[in-house]
Amino acid sequence: MKKKAFNLSALTRSKITWAVVAELLILLVCFVIRPDFFSISIQPSTGVLYGSLIDIVNRSAEISIIAMGMTLAIALGGTDLSVGALVAVSGAMALKLMRWDVLEYVTPGDYTVKPFWMAILFPLLTCTVMGLFNGFLIAKGGMQPFIATLILMVSGRGIAQILTNGKQFTTMYSPFRVIGQGNLGPIPMPIVIMTVVCVLMALFVRKTAFGTFVESVGVNRSASRLSGISSDAVIMIVYSITGFLSGIAGLIYSSRIMSNDSNNAGINYEMDAILAVVIGGTAMTGGKFSLLGTLIGSIIIRTIVTFVYYFGIVAEATMAFKALIIAVVIILQSEPVREYFARRSEKRASLKQG
Amino acid sequence: MRKLTAIVLTAAMCMGLAAPAMADIKVAFSQIGQESDWRTANTDSINGTIEAHEGWELIYDDAQQKQENQIKALRNFITQGVDYILFTGVVSTGWEEVLAEVNEAEIPLILVDRLPDCIDDIDYVAAFGGDFVEEGRRQVAWAGEYLKSVGRDNEDVNVVIMEGTTGASAQTGRTEGNLAAMEEYPFLKLVGQQTGNFTRAEGQAVMESWLKSIDKIDVLIAQNDDMALGAIDAIKAAGLVPGKDIIIVGCDSVKAAFEAIVAGEMNATIECTPLYGPFVESCIESLEAGEEMSKEVIHPEEGVYDMEGGIDLGTVTSVAAADVIDERVY
Repeated sequence: MKKKAFNLSALTRSKITWAVVAELLILLVCFVIRPDFFSISIQPSTGVLYGSLIDIVNRSAEISIIAMGMTLAIALGGTDLSVGALVAVSGAMALKLMRWDVLEYVTPGDYTVKPFWMAILFPLLTCTVMGLFNGFLIAKGGMQPFIATLILMVSGRGIAQILTNGKQFTTMYSPFRVIGQGNLGPIPMPIVIMTVVCVLMALFVRKTAFGTFVESVGVNRSASRLSGISSDAVIMIVYSITGFLSGIAGLIYSSRIMSNDSNNAGINYEMDAILAVVIGGTAMTGGKFSLLGTLIGSIIIRTIVTFVYYFGIVAEATMAFKALIIAVVIILQSEPVREYFARRSEKRASLKQG
Repeated sequence: MRKLTAIVLTAAMCMGLAAPAMADIKVAFSQIGQESDWRTANTDSINGTIEAHEGWELIYDDAQQKQENQIKALRNFITQGVDYILFTGVVSTGWEEVLAEVNEAEIPLILVDRLPDCIDDIDYVAAFGGDFVEEGRRQVAWAGEYLKSVGRDNEDVNVVIMEGTTGASAQTGRTEGNLAAMEEYPFLKLVGQQTGNFTRAEGQAVMESWLKSIDKIDVLIAQNDDMALGAIDAIKAAGLVPGKDIIIVGCDSVKAAFEAIVAGEMNATIECTPLYGPFVESCIESLEAGEEMSKEVIHPEEGVYDMEGGIDLGTVTSVAAADVIDERVY
């Protein structure tokens, strides 16, 4: 009994617990209103899993993937505002390479002009280099991450527009469709990609010393440097990773719509990703981080969006509704609320003991 | 000596710069951004016409969907002392102050496309734009008339309306037209209404959820073609046949919609022409000639395109998309 009570107290102090509680609460509301929200089946014509819960995870892929990188950037005490713009750059570049022929309008078909590997590799490479540029400005230039990444946040969409002459290209190339609309067995491809990214990231930060380096630099950059960690290298690697992951998210986004959409692709993604990280329990001040928490945070955000669509919240109230739920989630996680519940469970434990 | 050279050079440069600038008519255009194929065609048409016109200089600003950028651009135009300002607002409200500044600077203001709510309180020389309410009416009327023609008007038909960006005049106008026309076809039942923000990605996500939350959807009214095209993918993923199981009516008439109609995946699109260049040209030419324009909002002539053609909507009769697809330039 004593051991369980001790665990409960620790559990109530953890922000991740409260993120999970928040998600379960939202899902509970869904269940009360319409139990069939939870129905999952295999779509007979496509053989893919079909249901609102699948949609939530599927459509959270872009933010989840970006937020993995954002978690590290925030753990460093920084932030990356350029991720949304890089999503647009990635999509624009992929479409540009596949539809190189578009000067005047040409009917899209099942073909690619440049080799397909180029349309995948070049956007990822470009985004990684842009991330490295952010990291360089921060590490070597000594700039505030907020300002350094603001540069690409503002200019990134412009770069995407220039790449495509301000046009929206559409393609029908079927291998490209697989990324956002395909499936591996019964699982939608974005979920597969997202799982692979999350697992690789978790292995990279926890099975190597890199995670510890990040936390150390996030807590005290100078002390880390003096103890032999190359802070600059850590910073540049982290921002390159964030850029690379934004590139992946951009490919998924543009594959879903088989088109680049430089004005709307990745819009507000930086805010959603930061929010996912914060809901997941990583503090904006840097230091300790939790990739699992971030994943839950990202899924919470998508659950809210799906809730709005599913239950037909009127368009005008959508934003206010999202804000309200997020406010509740953040308050649930706040220090005083967690302390209150932790103390209650401690008290109850000591009463039982006594 | 060096000073003298500098003065002479400066003077020469000033004259050199001033001479052509004096002759040119500066036409400034504040565009809202490039959110869709339609917008791109609109920009190309207006900018192309102005640039090609002898003696006219184009000053163009792309506001990237932000009102504050547009306000900044308009103030820049005033400072630069342009001769004409072409303006379309990303949202319909909040323009009183900056447009009053344009009036104070006595720069002729030509309103195109999305007209601001404060249109009655400001001075403008001409206004040209689509009739969004009529477009919305035509969307629902097409569905109603088509269903009548196939004899489905004695059953309950479930309709969902996918709206554009909340607050945009295209959204408010088309929604007004949609809802008004719904009343004229009592067999149409409204079962869902949500914003898809005029984008393919959101149109897809909204449709995906609707297909799970609404038992039977017969008609999708999408307030632009991009959302309809996004929805088509979601409908396919749900194992349904777009264009058959669900009747899809879009708006704008972009080329991709024509292709979808010809492929049988979409049923109709209501035209909202982006080709404003010719109007802008004739408008500025007549103003330069000292003619006065009417304050009445001028609407372009627009069509309705569907699979087979021949659906009579009162003000217009639909044309088969396959017959005209090759003539479409956007």
